Amino acid sequence: MYQLRAPIEGSTIISIVVRLNDFGAIPFAPDNTDYQQFKKDIQNGVVLNDAEGNPITGSALTTFIGTLP
Amino acid sequence: MLQTTAQYYSMKNRIINGGMVISQRGTSFSITANTVYTLDRFYLRYNGGSASCTVTQSSSAPSGFANSLLMTVGTAQSPVSGNRFSIEQNIEGYNWYDLGYGTANAKTCTLSFWVQSSIAGTYSIALTNFSYSYVATYSIPTANTWTYVTLTIPGPTTGTWTGASNSSAVVVAWDIGEGSDVRTSTTGSWLSGVYLGATGSTNVVATSGATFYITGVQLEVGTQATSFDYRPYGTELALCQRYYQKSFPQGTAPSSGAGDYRVWYGVTGQNIPFPVVMRAAPTMVALPAVDSTAGNWASFNGTWVDFNPNLSGTDWAWNYYGAATATISGRWTASAEL
Repeated sequence: MYQLRAPIEGSTIISIVVRLNDFGAIPFAPDNTDYQQFKKDIQNGVVLNDAEGNPITGSALTTFIGTLP
Repeated sequence: MLQTTAQYYSMKNRIINGGMVISQRGTSFSITANTVYTLDRFYLRYNGGSASCTVTQSSSAPSGFANSLLMTVGTAQSPVSGNRFSIEQNIEGYNWYDLGYGTANAKTCTLSFWVQSSIAGTYSIALTNFSYSYVATYSIPTANTWTYVTLTIPGPTTGTWTGASNSSAVVVAWDIGEGSDVRTSTTGSWLSGVYLGATGSTNVVATSGATFYITGVQLEVGTQATSFDYRPYGTELALCQRYYQKSFPQGTAPSSGAGDYRVWYGVTGQNIPFPVVMRAAPTMVALPAVDSTAGNWASFNGTWVDFNPNLSGTDWAWNYYGAATATISGRWTASAEL
């Protein structure tokens, strides 16, 4: 289960997702293997929450996945 | 006179931490499933049934070595198709590209290591990029006795292989009980496909309490095994830190809780270079210290208050953001494993 981290103050860019089982902060970096696993997981149905803790589902999830590097 | 034969130059070993001296994550690991990093750069792929094992940094080692990786089987599992039980190291493209895999000039390499098991028999290793694989067998003739193994592996002249990059180039796997779907009876030649062991290899994982030790692992260019590449501790540690770092002292396993914490006078954000540039932007874990909860650090300005440090790593620095100026307590780990 993952949760997006809100952008830091002064920015609007989300670039970190938190792996909730160990609170690992995973950068959106294509050569990070945890990030590669994150992309596989959310495409396979593992829950992704927005920064407020609400699950991202349906077309919103599809759109989000499409924006990932 | 300049010597150019392999035994006279250093940094010849493409395996990192082959002497099993570095173990930043701790010295004992209980493994029940999945891929788990243990001693630095070495991980266990342990998937099948309810199998479990323990991995420790052992002080049992052959002459000339201080440590070994010891795997002790807990709950046994007789491997079936789909199971994966192996000890592996994943080698980065920058450390392998000069072997010219996939070209007419692909170089031969030699794998050597010391091994001991409570079960004598025939074992196997594999070199693979999960598209092409080479499987070789070796023998442990006597139980509970160190055996030195050397295996020479010709370079594959076909296939698509990772070049000079930070991606995975090749995985070395020691079969301790692979499923039949990734074992082959064709050994000693390159095969198309994923093969991680030889048909009939000893299934250590099938015997509760069985042990398997390994150390002195060296993978070098050439047709002969040469003397082990003893590198200075600081050099070996730096090589490991390209893939995993921590704020804890060496010798202290990362953990949560009071009594083991770092305090400094923080500001609302800091950007701190890693002591060694990591392979990729790492995954960072904040470990709580005094009076803070999982995922958080604590700041002190009269009282300890939880805060989320919002750690992030880039390829050259780690950052935190989110605390007002205060004394800050917390630690971190950073992982950029392959």
